[in-house]
Amino acid sequence: MSAAPRSWAQVLAYGAALVISVLFLYPYWWMLVSAFRTTRAVMTDPLRLLPEAFDLGILGEIARIGGVQLWVYVANSFAITGASTLLGVTVTALGAYALVRKPDLPGFTLLRYGFLVTIMYPYMLLVIPVYVVMFKLGLLGSYAGIVLFLALGPIQFFLFEQFFRAIPKEVIEAGVMDGASEAAILFRIVLPMAMPVTATVTLVTFLLNWSQWFPVLVFSKTPESYTLPVALLAMNTELGANFQGIMALAVITTLPVAIVFLVAQKRVMQGMAAGAVKG
Amino acid sequence: MTGAFAQIWPNRVFYLFVLPFAALTILFGVWPILLSIQISFTASASALRAAPSYVGLANYAAVFADPLFIASLSRTLVYTVLAVVANLAFALAVATLLDSTLLERANLFFRLAIFLPVVTPDVAGYVVWRWLFDRSFGAVNAALSALDLPGFGGLSSINTVTASILIAELWHHAGFYMLIFLANLAIRDRALEEAAAIDGATSWQRWRWVVLPQLRPALVINIVYATIQFLKTFTVVVVMTKGGPNDHTNFVSYYAYQLFDQGRYGEATAMATILFALVIGLSLTAYRIGDKAAWR
Repeated sequence: MSAAPRSWAQVLAYGAALVISVLFLYPYWWMLVSAFRTTRAVMTDPLRLLPEAFDLGILGEIARIGGVQLWVYVANSFAITGASTLLGVTVTALGAYALVRKPDLPGFTLLRYGFLVTIMYPYMLLVIPVYVVMFKLGLLGSYAGIVLFLALGPIQFFLFEQFFRAIPKEVIEAGVMDGASEAAILFRIVLPMAMPVTATVTLVTFLLNWSQWFPVLVFSKTPESYTLPVALLAMNTELGANFQGIMALAVITTLPVAIVFLVAQKRVMQGMAAGAVKG
Repeated sequence: MTGAFAQIWPNRVFYLFVLPFAALTILFGVWPILLSIQISFTASASALRAAPSYVGLANYAAVFADPLFIASLSRTLVYTVLAVVANLAFALAVATLLDSTLLERANLFFRLAIFLPVVTPDVAGYVVWRWLFDRSFGAVNAALSALDLPGFGGLSSINTVTASILIAELWHHAGFYMLIFLANLAIRDRALEEAAAIDGATSWQRWRWVVLPQLRPALVINIVYATIQFLKTFTVVVVMTKGGPNDHTNFVSYYAYQLFDQGRYGEATAMATILFALVIGLSLTAYRIGDKAAWR
């Protein structure tokens, strides 16, 4: 291969990749810049690449949204996402382990199919009958109801299932031969091996649950239990919307997951690819 | 009975492990789905009472006799096909580009830029896109007029609304499909391409006849995932269009939700069941077609 065509192709390839990347990142930049600019300034010049001034005054304006303090939404987001992630990782790890170790036990196949059907069901339409179930259980309007519903998810289950299936049978049989109890096998042999996959599942679950909005909206009785995306949606739906405030809230909603993703990008991307390939 | 018990009792520790998972799956999965199917056979007014009155298939008949539902269903199917093709074509092209040896430097930056929207909360992303398409605030029309190009109707015109939400959804989802293609490209057998190159195959021929057939697993997974994803399109409609203008983006899931909101539980759950059947049917079909198409 001669050098000239390769370098031409290379210029073209870099040009294309750069244009696509800039187009994908531009909405973030526009959101960030608009959060610092007054609504009037954006209307006169929507394309300005830097704000006129780095004015954080908008934070005072959105300190209360829909009668609830902004920090309540932030706290709700961290509490609901954190709790549902911890619960989901624990419950899914134990469940997937049992289903992989003893797939033939009575009821286990049925349970697996029940789970698969659940994740195929249109999500937004599942939330509606779950509302009825929550009502019957007295969980409506409670944090517990929201956290319990958000705990399970397909990628989490498939990642654990895939990992447990890949553990060599000999490793577990050695424990059985030594007379270890099943609990000891799980906690002393399997779980220490599963630390990396557990970290991956925790990260991915956190990112996915942070974005959840519809169940939170439907199962809440008042805005007091809204998370950031739900508060953002409510604010965006208001008549005479405060554009600058909406952009500032969008930044606050996006920033935590963007940071977590950029810090742990390798693990997140590998985890999401592996979880999907199994499904 | 004793046989099952003899199998269960020695394994009781596994039932203990699986119990919380089973409880959540049943409480928030199996039970509500069965409940939803049950409600679809009852009269809306009595649906949530202790003793609902059953009306057989009347809700399903009403739903299929509703011209708005038929229009909504056909729009949903057309949109699904458009979105699946657009997302997968774009993702495959970008994955091929990023996988090529031409782009060794800054490769991670490109991947991160295209994948970041996947983990960005969808509400936040679609809110920003809604305003980007706005006539008076939006950067899209400002950029077009700066380039002396004709304006873009965005979300307010029936001619451009589908393209607008397609762009926003592609921005949010395509990075995921790209990731699956990239994972598949990374494990392909490169020796085959070298052999083809020695035999005088052009780059296009190598990609079409050597690389593409090896991407069959990623293609099948992506087709199934994307079909399920776009049949259920909901959030983008809630945030950006509310089904409008003129019902042009009133897809089945949003339409069913509106009926539920109006207390028409019987019809809403009948639609849910129909959509569920479609999701299962079409994703199995997509799986089969994807499986065969990539063989050639």
